[in-house]
Amino acid sequence: MRVETTRTAAPVRLQHACAVYASSADLVAQAAPVVAEAARRGEAVVLSVRPETEARLRDAAGSARVVALVPGNPARSSGQTTAARLARELRELTSHSGAVLAVSEHDSALDGIDGRYWTELDAAVNVALTDLPVSMFCFYPELPLHSEILDGAIANHPLLFEAGRLHTNADHRPPRDVLAGMPAAPPVLLGAPDLDMVFSAWQLHEVRAAVSDLASATAFDTARSEDVVLAVNEIATNAVEHGSGEARIALWIAGDGLVAEIHDTGESLAEPLPGLRAPHPADPRGRGVWIARQLCDVLHVWRDHSGTHVRMHAAP
Amino acid sequence: MCAVPLSEEQLWEVSADFVADGLDRNERVLYFDDGTADGVLGRLSDDHVAFERPLRTGQLAIVPAEATRAIFHTALPEARAMMLDHIDGSTAAGYAGFRMTGQMSHGVDRQWPATFVEYDRELDGLVRERGITALCLYDRRRYSDEQIERMRDVHRKELSVPTAYDDGLLRVVRTGPTSARLAGEVDHSNRPAIARLLETTLDDALRSHSAPTDIELNLASLRFIDVASAVSLVHAAEGFPDTHRLVLTDVRQGVLRVLDRCGAPFAAQLTVREFVGAADAGLRGPGPVVGSGRHAAGPGATNGVRPEGPAGNGSGYPDLREAR
Repeated sequence: MRVETTRTAAPVRLQHACAVYASSADLVAQAAPVVAEAARRGEAVVLSVRPETEARLRDAAGSARVVALVPGNPARSSGQTTAARLARELRELTSHSGAVLAVSEHDSALDGIDGRYWTELDAAVNVALTDLPVSMFCFYPELPLHSEILDGAIANHPLLFEAGRLHTNADHRPPRDVLAGMPAAPPVLLGAPDLDMVFSAWQLHEVRAAVSDLASATAFDTARSEDVVLAVNEIATNAVEHGSGEARIALWIAGDGLVAEIHDTGESLAEPLPGLRAPHPADPRGRGVWIARQLCDVLHVWRDHSGTHVRMHAAP
Repeated sequence: MCAVPLSEEQLWEVSADFVADGLDRNERVLYFDDGTADGVLGRLSDDHVAFERPLRTGQLAIVPAEATRAIFHTALPEARAMMLDHIDGSTAAGYAGFRMTGQMSHGVDRQWPATFVEYDRELDGLVRERGITALCLYDRRRYSDEQIERMRDVHRKELSVPTAYDDGLLRVVRTGPTSARLAGEVDHSNRPAIARLLETTLDDALRSHSAPTDIELNLASLRFIDVASAVSLVHAAEGFPDTHRLVLTDVRQGVLRVLDRCGAPFAAQLTVREFVGAADAGLRGPGPVVGSGRHAAGPGATNGVRPEGPAGNGSGYPDLREAR
């Protein structure tokens, strides 16, 4: 897997707008002119919407390049993971095609128990896409099942899209504030792990050996296995570096890959969602988690009174 | 002769050197395995020693662990006769000599001290009478301090290998005024050792007019590097004076990918050369003639040469050196 680094210092910025729709027809009526306008400017269009909406917006895009994103797995929904994936795909697309318009539609299948997936996603988008020339329009229903979804959407978006016009959102708050009020949720609990161990900085090699043994016993090839070992090593290193010096790792091996959970009891880091922003080449710190995010299919960080926790899932 | 390795890495290094020397001299080499042969063969391939063909022809033979252990349950005269068979056999087959090494720690668990020392004395007799070469290894993981001291006393020669750093996970050996070889793994626990090594090596290079301007680290046996260590190598090279370069040679694919992701392709004063396996690395490949060890292959044959072609290195990763 190729991992890109930031190379430009150009002050491009994400435009992140929230729109509210009454019905599917209303959504299309609002979004189609935006898509058509972007197509006229020669921008590529990225869609993360329901199939019916996608068909109508493709019509509006005409001959412009349209990329439809594959929806995430609801069982593993992690807003920060979706944002990291979105950033990866948009970084690649914008490096080839310049500015991009992205349209996303709320999908209640990803709500989870209280809809905070969406708040986490939008906050993470603000961090991960910040240096990309992307205009992103997020469409939310007027009346979602969980009212927190709209509260989060209003807090997260610097722009509001109403009656066909963009204007500044006075209620917008930075990601850190939003996540302080609604932190990332813990993921679904798993059964007893295949391996559970406590480690310090001097036992990182044992952690790597355990991951390597499990990965090579399943469908991982050598290169993928090495990448997964690297990803787990980086998160484990962070845990012993910033935590109390000792951390715990649990590993599960399943048909669809390897799951690792790393828990440390340290004080919470300054950054609520680490590793989302592409590190500057001169910056010695922060690259490990960013690379781990690029290498894992899911990397979910959450915090509670007991410390910082990371769940990683890597498919072969 | 004997050696007392500080770590598994050193054990593999010393054993591989001993084996390669024997192959070079067209001697027959017998390795008594007991869990260490894989590491030694791995090290031989890191060292670009063509051992596949000697393995096929029987010039290099690995005695399986069960057979190694069985020696210590064999009566001494019988064991002696078996060794004489090996020695006569190799002379008859036209080899220039006979040497042996391997992992004999089973004997120490079973029969310390009397029998173990007796076996060793018998071997010493063969070394004197028949001119064979034997390397006995006593590492601290498998032998107690008392056992090591006792065995040191009964050997006439101890190989001492210069070590710049060895913590059991990472081993560093200076190979020249401005070059070193790394073996093992670099992570959060030993990252400062690398920074110190680079600092002192650069310092030495800058103080001497005759010293090379390339600081060269051979990474053939480096199996893992974490992100922060890779970043520190890249940053160190960027901090070198214009006159000097950091050259990483024989870099494995996994380590290469980490360096690639940490900005190595964009560091002007960093050169990364990937590891290219020995000519007969595959069992089906054409092997060199018997006796061609690492010196026959020569560094030019393997170092710094990579297959040409637009497909990069064939693994889907961009060709690092194209960026320079």
